Amino acid sequence: MPQPKPVVQPEYDPTYLNSLREAYVIIALFAIFCSWSIFVCYNFGYLSPGEQLSEISTVLGMPSWAFWGIGLPWLVVDVVAVWFCFFYMTADNLGEAHEGEDLAEQVAHLHEGEEARGE
Amino acid sequence: MNSLTLVPLLAAGGSNAAIVTFSIYIVGVMVLAWLSNRLLQSKSFLSEYFLGSRSLGVWAFALTFAATSSSGGSFIGFPSLVYTHGWIVALWIGSYMIVPIVSMGLLAKRINQVARKSGSITIPDVLRDRFESPVFGAIATGLIVFFMVFNLIAQFKGGSVILQTLLQDVPLFRQASHGLADMLHGVPILGGSEDKPGYLLCLLVFTVAVVVYTAYGGFRAVVWTDVMQGLVMVGGVALMLPLALWAVGGLGNATREMAQMTPPDKVKLELSVPDSVSETFNIASNSWLVQDDGDGRRVFRTAARAQILPGEKTATYRDDNGDLSPKIPGIEITYAKQVENLSPDQLGHDVTIRVLESKEYVNGAGRTGVYVTGPGPHASSDAGFLPFSLAVSFFFMWTFSGAGQPANMVRLMAFNNATTLRRSIFAVSIYYSLIYFPLVIIFCCARVLLPGWETESDRIMPEMAKVTTELVHMPWLAGLLVAAPFAAVMSTMDSFLLMISSAVVRDIYQRNINPEASEQTIKRLTYAATIAVGTIAMLAAVSPPQFLQDIIVFTGSGLSTSFLAPVALMLYWPRFNRQGALAGMLGGFATHVTLYTVGTLKSGKVDAYELFNFHPFMVGLFASFVFAIAVAYLTPPPPEHLVRKYFYKDAAR
Repeated sequence: MPQPKPVVQPEYDPTYLNSLREAYVIIALFAIFCSWSIFVCYNFGYLSPGEQLSEISTVLGMPSWAFWGIGLPWLVVDVVAVWFCFFYMTADNLGEAHEGEDLAEQVAHLHEGEEARGE
Repeated sequence: MNSLTLVPLLAAGGSNAAIVTFSIYIVGVMVLAWLSNRLLQSKSFLSEYFLGSRSLGVWAFALTFAATSSSGGSFIGFPSLVYTHGWIVALWIGSYMIVPIVSMGLLAKRINQVARKSGSITIPDVLRDRFESPVFGAIATGLIVFFMVFNLIAQFKGGSVILQTLLQDVPLFRQASHGLADMLHGVPILGGSEDKPGYLLCLLVFTVAVVVYTAYGGFRAVVWTDVMQGLVMVGGVALMLPLALWAVGGLGNATREMAQMTPPDKVKLELSVPDSVSETFNIASNSWLVQDDGDGRRVFRTAARAQILPGEKTATYRDDNGDLSPKIPGIEITYAKQVENLSPDQLGHDVTIRVLESKEYVNGAGRTGVYVTGPGPHASSDAGFLPFSLAVSFFFMWTFSGAGQPANMVRLMAFNNATTLRRSIFAVSIYYSLIYFPLVIIFCCARVLLPGWETESDRIMPEMAKVTTELVHMPWLAGLLVAAPFAAVMSTMDSFLLMISSAVVRDIYQRNINPEASEQTIKRLTYAATIAVGTIAMLAAVSPPQFLQDIIVFTGSGLSTSFLAPVALMLYWPRFNRQGALAGMLGGFATHVTLYTVGTLKSGKVDAYELFNFHPFMVGLFASFVFAIAVAYLTPPPPEHLVRKYFYKDAAR
């Protein structure tokens, strides 16, 4: 008795899966650095209405809120970029370009339609 | 350093350095276009002309992406904001730290792969092929053309204004402008104000240069010139940063000085002389005037060119309506140290000053510390420059608006492999770190070095270039520094121009009118379309609509709200279908346009209605995602063969 052919379950494209995984990490990175910058700058860098100051604490010459809220996270992002680009993101195969294939399909459909009308 | 010693330097007059740099620069881009055109002869025309045969390497991909994103605003508008509002602008631009990772990493690999699978060349192509829907492709084309045409006109105007700003003191340019003014005498649209001939000359030069190299060389010429422009930009910043820091004696000095500053008052002045004059007496724009009559010293700076006409005693200027007005606009310095130290310009007559009107900044007037903290001083907004909700909005907007721009998405389809992408994201991260944060530092230093430029803050970049290079006795270097702004403008203009011509040739003609057109026909049409679009945009920019900067923001955020959700979901969600994509695109577009329509009706100019104090981009993007997901769930799933083709291994081909 012939054996039934095993059902082959299609597999997701690994480039798609890797890109999706990386997209989640990117959104998380954005959330972390957005929260960091806004939290520090808003809590330590904003004056209340009517308030004034004549002296400001500085780090490396910039207002300390700008250093801790913008300068430092900017540096950290650059370090994270090294990790993300060279150790996390995968060098997937993007495939061959099928130049002109979309247009060729369109032209083929066009002729199929013409032939059908001719019959 | 005493800032007053610098003021005479500004009056020293312009050299031809800027015009020489500009000329060398134009020759450079033309050579690159010629080389690109030679490559065109040996490759598939459309793929090469509009996508560089998907073969961009690290430097080309990274720098074309970075340069296209940095428009003229980065080197003119942004420095002006830092100068006017102080350190808080670091937060306003702060999200650029994460922009490269998000705007390149989020979509790049997948959109490149999907475009390769279908053979797509443009963004409407990708959408049309991914959903097998010609209607969807046509709608996407319509939206791109609608938004981009407005944006291109605005960029042409912006580029010409920047070039005019940079060259206005150059003797050769002034002679050419006067020559053009004589030629145009009596032509109403082209005559106009006294600045118009200079503007038209710049518009003509810019248009010819950009259209010629873009039309002749196509995408590869645009990319190569972007690389050159990107290097010029970062080189300009790298040179100016140490010069600026040296000139102020270190960043700490500049920040401490800024902490003492208070915003100027906006004034209207009556300027008169004791006896009527026999010849026209000119008082240049940005002239320093001092009133010291025993009641205390007051220092003013004019914000318009005024004249006392023969037989008259009182100065007038031509206002926005073209009428002569005796109320000369200007500012009054309120920071005590500057009031004490600034000297008047020698005008040649004894000018009496009377203050007719005086208006304090609505937020920040008389308060120290406002230039080193948030929300930053503002002349007309009670909430200041960057209240909390706007800070959040801008953090989102710069990051995701870039990801949703079709001009950026096209670049994501053009790199050669994933290794190039990985290196490029890192390269652009470093590139932006070297551009944007240093620009904040440079123009905070400018606040200390060059007081009173609130009168014309868009000129702070060329003025800073001039002053810092004079200080180190290298005025020729100013030419190189001011090359950065026009490099930034040109790199944006050429990309937009190519985007519109690709929409016309590929998306409208080839895919909807004549799919069997010969390559020769397509080639001729492509050159003709690029030249025609450039020429039409130039003609529209001769007499452009008002509120152009607002239109740029409207079109940029409009494109993102329309395209980001459908493109992101079509790349990552197999269940996403044509109906959902269409709903997301039109829902985002409609929400965005509605918020702008309401804002415009309320304020009488192109303006956004900020629902819950959030920018329309955020509201529109949210609406676009909601429409897209809801409609996709409410309608049948997409055809199985499309899901297999784009989401599965070994797709049935």
